[in-house]
Amino acid sequence: MAELHIIGQIVGASGFPQSSLFCKWGIHTGGAWRLLSGVKEGQTQVDLPEMGDMAFWSHPVDLHYTTKGIQGWPKFHLQVWHQDSFGRCQLYGYGYCHVPSSPGQHRLQCVTWRPLGSWQEQLAQEFVGGGSQLRFPDLIYSGADRYRLHTVAMGIVELELCIILRHFDKYGIES
Amino acid sequence: MTSNNPSVFLLMVNGQIESANFPQYDDLYCKYCFVYGHDWAPTSGLEEGISQITSKGRESSQSLVWNFPIEITFKSTNPFGWPQIVVSVYGPDTFGNDVVRGYGAVHVPFTPGRHTRTIPMFVPESTSILQKFTSWVMGRRPEFTDPKVVAQGEGREVTRVRSQGFVTLQFNIVTKDMKKLGYETSSTENTAATSHQGPGPHYTV
Repeated sequence: MAELHIIGQIVGASGFPQSSLFCKWGIHTGGAWRLLSGVKEGQTQVDLPEMGDMAFWSHPVDLHYTTKGIQGWPKFHLQVWHQDSFGRCQLYGYGYCHVPSSPGQHRLQCVTWRPLGSWQEQLAQEFVGGGSQLRFPDLIYSGADRYRLHTVAMGIVELELCIILRHFDKYGIES
Repeated sequence: MTSNNPSVFLLMVNGQIESANFPQYDDLYCKYCFVYGHDWAPTSGLEEGISQITSKGRESSQSLVWNFPIEITFKSTNPFGWPQIVVSVYGPDTFGNDVVRGYGAVHVPFTPGRHTRTIPMFVPESTSILQKFTSWVMGRRPEFTDPKVVAQGEGREVTRVRSQGFVTLQFNIVTKDMKKLGYETSSTENTAATSHQGPGPHYTV
């Protein structure tokens, strides 16, 4: 079977209204993929950067997959949260990106968005914080039901990943 | 030496901890160590080290230069658990106590060639203002008992950190037998492009 290694870091995020941020992340794959070793979901530390607007997580990722088919290539889904000085958490953005299919070092910039909600909700959010969240977080990486949403752009999450492939060429896979 | 059916591949890492950028601190030294998976073993070189104390340049340059060498070779059968270098920086606080100024980690580069990595450095935060004050007075800041936790992904959701500087590392990577074992670490068309990616992103401080 062909093997795929995803090794790297979730570096950090920038461009959000506040910079004290953390990230919940996970990897979604199709049915043919099997995780041999590594952790496929997690949560980063909360960074309160001393200077600049980028929060750094340096969160290591190291995954080893085998696969019987190339459908359902792995993808990262991310949720960026803001933690305020009282320890309250607020959703700041959802985003997803495909794991690159070519081997080598990649620096990915994952754009994020959050649901906008109705104008009443937006008004309430101005004063009391909070905000809308997805009831079904699998919408982050599926395109099926997105048309019902109204979203607004948020910041960017940076990932640095190295992709190592093994035996894909044995099966005639060109990547 | 040359065998047609190798069972292990080698990763040779030569490099240096070049310099650091900590706008608020001076007179710093650093330690490094490597964190790697079960299938990995160092075959030669030093796994950890401690640098000299350096001060900021008196002239225009505000960077802290260590120029501290790293030379190590690993062998492994499996890229899982690829080595990470963990760097921690220490320096005196206002009362002269040695306190930590930053932890950081990065994977050793994967492709042969020369690489520059600038890694963010962070320290754990006190959980309350009272604790923050007492730790300032006592000169004992929150620290990780084992710096190697910064190379682990688990259990980080409970930590609050403050990033306050950067360390720049240089790497020269040589690999042996990875191709023979069937591992592709760079795409065939743009091998040249990936191995000369130049210095990574430049963060503003």
